[in-house]
Amino acid sequence: MVILGIETSCDETSVAVLLEEKVSVNLISSQYFHELYGGVVPELSSRAHLQTLIPLIKKALQKTSISINDVDIIAATAGPGLIGALLVGLNVAKGISYSSGKVFIPVNHIEGHIFSGFLMEEKPSFPFLCLVVSGGHTLLLLVEDELRIKRLGVTIDDSAGEAFDKTAKMLGLGYPGGPKIQYYAGMGNRTKINFPVARLNDKYNFSFSGLKTSVLRYLQKNYADSEIPKSDIADIAAAFQEAVIKALTANVRKALTDYKVESISMVGGVAANVSLREKMQSIANQHKIKLIIPANEYCGDNAAMIACRALQLYKRGIKYSLNYNAFPALSEKVFIH
Amino acid sequence: MNRVELKLRSIEDTRIAAENLSAKLVDGDIVMLNGELGAGKTFFVKSICEFWGIKNAGSPSFSIVNQYSGRRKVYHFDFYRINKIEELFDIGIEEYFADKSAITFIEWADRFTQIIPNHHYRVDLSFINLSERKMVIEKRENK
Repeated sequence: MVILGIETSCDETSVAVLLEEKVSVNLISSQYFHELYGGVVPELSSRAHLQTLIPLIKKALQKTSISINDVDIIAATAGPGLIGALLVGLNVAKGISYSSGKVFIPVNHIEGHIFSGFLMEEKPSFPFLCLVVSGGHTLLLLVEDELRIKRLGVTIDDSAGEAFDKTAKMLGLGYPGGPKIQYYAGMGNRTKINFPVARLNDKYNFSFSGLKTSVLRYLQKNYADSEIPKSDIADIAAAFQEAVIKALTANVRKALTDYKVESISMVGGVAANVSLREKMQSIANQHKIKLIIPANEYCGDNAAMIACRALQLYKRGIKYSLNYNAFPALSEKVFIH
Repeated sequence: MNRVELKLRSIEDTRIAAENLSAKLVDGDIVMLNGELGAGKTFFVKSICEFWGIKNAGSPSFSIVNQYSGRRKVYHFDFYRINKIEELFDIGIEEYFADKSAITFIEWADRFTQIIPNHHYRVDLSFINLSERKMVIEKRENK
């Protein structure tokens, strides 16, 4: 079985090929732009996807030494995301499917992330708890099997990744914020300052906007007219990171007392944070269950997870018509269907 | 109302301002929001949306635009991550503006003022001190 996966929901154009359930290639535009366009930084736009997608598909097929005729399933992200960007990938997939008669499977981007742990050697076992932490999304889910996903909590304002980026910006550390905060936090004292963790009525929801405001207030109060010394930046970064980790893991702990699960999976860009990984690992150890975190290339937006999810849906006998449309937002209740 | 200036001392004050503006907005309206990080732009939009029965409004900083529906259809933009005006044209921003069945909010709108139609509301948020914020709401119309 050969699956071609396409992901164009936001900034990254990505194309992957899955050969007999193994990733053969997983190309991501930001890493390939230098090769394709000689170092031009991609703009955030549907036009960039349009320019990059076909060359990436050709490259992916070439690297796998197959032709488009060898592909069995064409999968593409249908949503959520920027509608113009989604339409590029989805319509290319539909076009290939229509002209070649191959199976077309539209994939929910979040479902791609949720099941990205299945790209690893050691896979999550059902039922599992899934923490999705990225720039665009923060969700806690109970995944009973491939088709039953229960949403436990979601951020009510900013995502965890956004909190990292905006705090880094306030501290003058630049973009992307995640690695910068992690670097400074490593040199700081995480207990010197105490930033509050939001308490919410809905037990599993998250909120990071208040934390951002707390950091801002702290900066206004202490460094209104002066530069922030490096050592203070380290302490603020450490205290901030500690607060984010507390907020995320508190809900994970609550869910583990309420639901009996076989494993935990943490996915999305923020899952790269080392301190968060350590904390999650210690929680998993306490509960004697395994923690699955995908490799970094599958944590950010990528097409391998889209192809992987499409294969799961195909195996469960789920069929889609070429009329399936792109959708910008996650619906309130369910995931796909 | 052409211009109002408010002092916000609490979340409740922001909610009252949101309720007032939510009652004035009609389909097709565009609302620009400006103010530094943490000034309360997203919270204000979120509060307005709550009065229309929309509970899932969040930050569009990463997604660029969120779409909600309740008693109103809402497009919630954020120009924070946009670097060039061409990116907005590529996203198809004019099509969103042309949708007269929706209300459009734009955070960090001042980054690309030139793209905003003349007829709009403008909300400016700023800090007076650590516990008070100033909100200025202006209605601007074609002359």
